[in-house]
Amino acid sequence: MTLSNLAIGLLLTLVAAFFLNAQKRAFFIFIFSLVAVYALQPALPIRYIDFWLPTIGLVLVIVLWIVITPHEIVKSRENIFTFGWILLVIVILGMTRYLDGLSFLTASIPPRIEQIMSALVVFGILILFAIFWAKNKSIALGGIILVISLLIAIKYQPITIWLAQTLRSFNNQAIETVTAFDIRWLGLSYIAFRLIHTLQDSIRRRGPTVFLQEYVTFIFFYPALVAGPIDRLERFVKDLRAPFSRSNIEWGFIIERLALGLFKKYILADSLALVAINPQNATQIQNAGWAWVLLYAYAFQILLDFSGYTDIALALGRLIGIKLPENFKQPYLKPNLTHFWNNWHMSLTQWFRAYVFNPFSRSLRGTSLPAWGMILLAQLLTMTLIGLWHGITPNFVIWGLWHGLGLFFHSRWQNVLRVRVSNWATTPMRQQVVNWSGILITFNFVALGWVWFVLPTPQKTLDFFSLLFRFG
Amino acid sequence: MTEEMIATLKKFIATEIARQPDRSIAADEKLISSGLIDSFSLVDLGLYVEDTFGVRIEDTELNADTFDTLEQLAALIQSRQ
Amino acid sequence: MSSPFRILLKGLILTLFVALILPLFPDMGHLSGYNRIFPGRKRLPFGENPARAYNLSLYNLDAMFAAHEISQPKAAVEYRIILIGDSSVWGTLLKPDQTLAGQLNQRELTFCGKTAHFYNLGYPTISLTKDLLLLDYAARYKPDAIIWLTTLEAFPLEKQLTSPLVANNATDIQGLIDRYDLPLDPHDPELVHLTYWSQTLFGQRRALADFIRLQLYGVMWAATGVDQVYSENYTPPKTDFEVGEDAFHNLQRPLDESQLAFDILSAGIDLSPAPVLFVNEPMLISQGTNSNLRYNFFYPRWAYDEYRIQLAQKADENEWNYLDIWDILPNHEFTNSAIHLTPEGTLELASNVIDALQVKCEE
Repeated sequence: MTLSNLAIGLLLTLVAAFFLNAQKRAFFIFIFSLVAVYALQPALPIRYIDFWLPTIGLVLVIVLWIVITPHEIVKSRENIFTFGWILLVIVILGMTRYLDGLSFLTASIPPRIEQIMSALVVFGILILFAIFWAKNKSIALGGIILVISLLIAIKYQPITIWLAQTLRSFNNQAIETVTAFDIRWLGLSYIAFRLIHTLQDSIRRRGPTVFLQEYVTFIFFYPALVAGPIDRLERFVKDLRAPFSRSNIEWGFIIERLALGLFKKYILADSLALVAINPQNATQIQNAGWAWVLLYAYAFQILLDFSGYTDIALALGRLIGIKLPENFKQPYLKPNLTHFWNNWHMSLTQWFRAYVFNPFSRSLRGTSLPAWGMILLAQLLTMTLIGLWHGITPNFVIWGLWHGLGLFFHSRWQNVLRVRVSNWATTPMRQQVVNWSGILITFNFVALGWVWFVLPTPQKTLDFFSLLFRFG
Repeated sequence: MTEEMIATLKKFIATEIARQPDRSIAADEKLISSGLIDSFSLVDLGLYVEDTFGVRIEDTELNADTFDTLEQLAALIQSRQ
Repeated sequence: MSSPFRILLKGLILTLFVALILPLFPDMGHLSGYNRIFPGRKRLPFGENPARAYNLSLYNLDAMFAAHEISQPKAAVEYRIILIGDSSVWGTLLKPDQTLAGQLNQRELTFCGKTAHFYNLGYPTISLTKDLLLLDYAARYKPDAIIWLTTLEAFPLEKQLTSPLVANNATDIQGLIDRYDLPLDPHDPELVHLTYWSQTLFGQRRALADFIRLQLYGVMWAATGVDQVYSENYTPPKTDFEVGEDAFHNLQRPLDESQLAFDILSAGIDLSPAPVLFVNEPMLISQGTNSNLRYNFFYPRWAYDEYRIQLAQKADENEWNYLDIWDILPNHEFTNSAIHLTPEGTLELASNVIDALQVKCEE
């Protein structure tokens, strides 16, 4: 996200906050989020695909909403209007091909209007089909599988490259220059998790029933589109439906978070990026001392970048009355790894707790495994999946296992030593010693874990580890 | 009724989760956000509540936003009984 | 009541204050982590691909020299020799130890009972005025000897101020023009002048960002020893020419002395803080198509031949310590330009230079 994108977003949000009533505000968020899906999509070398990906995303969201929504609600008047608005936005964005002044609204030139129209007919048939046929749980489950497949397709490079090749040859474009970056789908990682959450809740008959406009807004909410946080539908819709008035705007929170976020992301993190380890410089570093400096620089860069981004998202959301959930609460100042993961990318870890860890732990209770075995399995599975969410590579798997094992050992340690430590730490001084040693150990464990995260292959990672621990 | 429920829950948490049977837990003490109950034990607590009080707490509800103290947990259980 | 607007107002006032007070502290460049937290650079900051080179181009001479190893205090037992020149001295495509200064240092020479240390103050743009600017600045580092390498391309008067380093140090250049009575226009439009407004934080944000990046890349320089993209794949210099390709800038035959910056050269040598060895540097001599017209990409034969005669005369008249080694290297010792040398070519150059260096010891 560039500063100019951010400035436009902030300006329009301010205007909306000042001049719109509750209903118009909800409509503004809806339309602006729809446009943002196209405007923020990165331009891609495969012709027109940066127009089709957002469009396919929109159609997917509509279909899945139909799947989770009672039949009589789907066909209500409000939703028919929403269909119309979505159609209009797609057509207008498609028309920017012929309107020079508005070309900034799409990543690159959209397809010809007749192509868009024919595609819309196909999508329309698909949606009608969904309305009349897609009405049971197995379809919701199918939706989850579809969304996970999409995630795998863009996170597993061999598949991404194969897809890109196929599309290139379909377009008569050069195949030799294909890379995995040919297909980048803005925000899909986050969109997918919001979709899975609502689909799974609908299977368990838990989620709220919402209008299409609300659902589309939830999935594509522009402040959280690029990098989260991952909200929950029932919470989000509560804010969206709540009365909104200018006098309730929490200026203190907004100004503080916006200033903090800009400072963290665009000044601190962008500066640290110059001295943080990356695949290029990792092999050039000549001694252990500087290797540690570069590793710590990365640890703070990733925190400040991501949490600064979240601060900005939270501030923008709050400006129009949406209280997005917190994502980071000083994670590097936590005395153990469990605490770290309760405060790092919280909306993601809560999602995994709700949809992976808890159900899996529950199911393990029926087995004859010893308690420690259940804990180990549940931690490893959850953390490995979190690793894979970042990309399907051996290094992300190992990063996940690193943290899974770390969490397991911490929980064992807790059981064995908690009492002993609390018996020893009887003075405030000793408690401080325990606390700060915990923080130091946890931070370094996390920082060393980032080596797996940032370098592309196990070999490069091991080389860097041997550099880190090479003394003299 | 509520106090009895809180006492039962407290006993379970102190002995089975914290493994410090003598530990006192106040009714408004933070359980989850303080780290006293880790995520794995939270599932145990959920199962215990289900077995003991016949109330299901969903996987998506096992977090500090839904309940973080004994008081809040008891209120949640009672609202579903 | 602590209104958020009051917080905002306070923040704004503070920012404005800092921003407007900045012009009162023009010496920001002296603050540097180099030679303190990380080692000084072995050549002046210059880089067109900062993210890969861990080096960048900026125009603040204070910051540039503060980042250089020459800013270290001079030891009593050090014999300090500085090298001035263009990218061939700076060392395009060469690692710091492969440059002329780097190779001279590897000889571990002693002069007058002191340890010789050669400093690379070359800078990649070709202009005698740029050389003079750096030489003048470097006087404060108390050199014992100076080696100045140059080539005809540095001489045309019209080229003197086009180097961005020169154009963006207008005040210093005007000072030089005044002091040395140089044949240059102090009000030349090439020179970039600073207004009060451009010296505030708003005007200086680029310079400030460059300064901060220079410091941050100090970490990478310390960690990796990399200060340039040492590309293995480069295009060799042009050796084939078209008929009629015999122009040198827009100068007429015969080469008119008054169009060349001999005065700037004499000013540099005469007013130098230490004895100067002046070198006409090696260049590639083409043997390709129409090479009877042109020596290389830079020079038609007529211009270069006349320049060598004129330069030799000047050196003779002024009793300069002058070394003309324009043709000592075979073509395979040049890399991506007619003046950029391979490490082996630089070694050969170093031998020639050291033989010509005349050392005068203080009594």
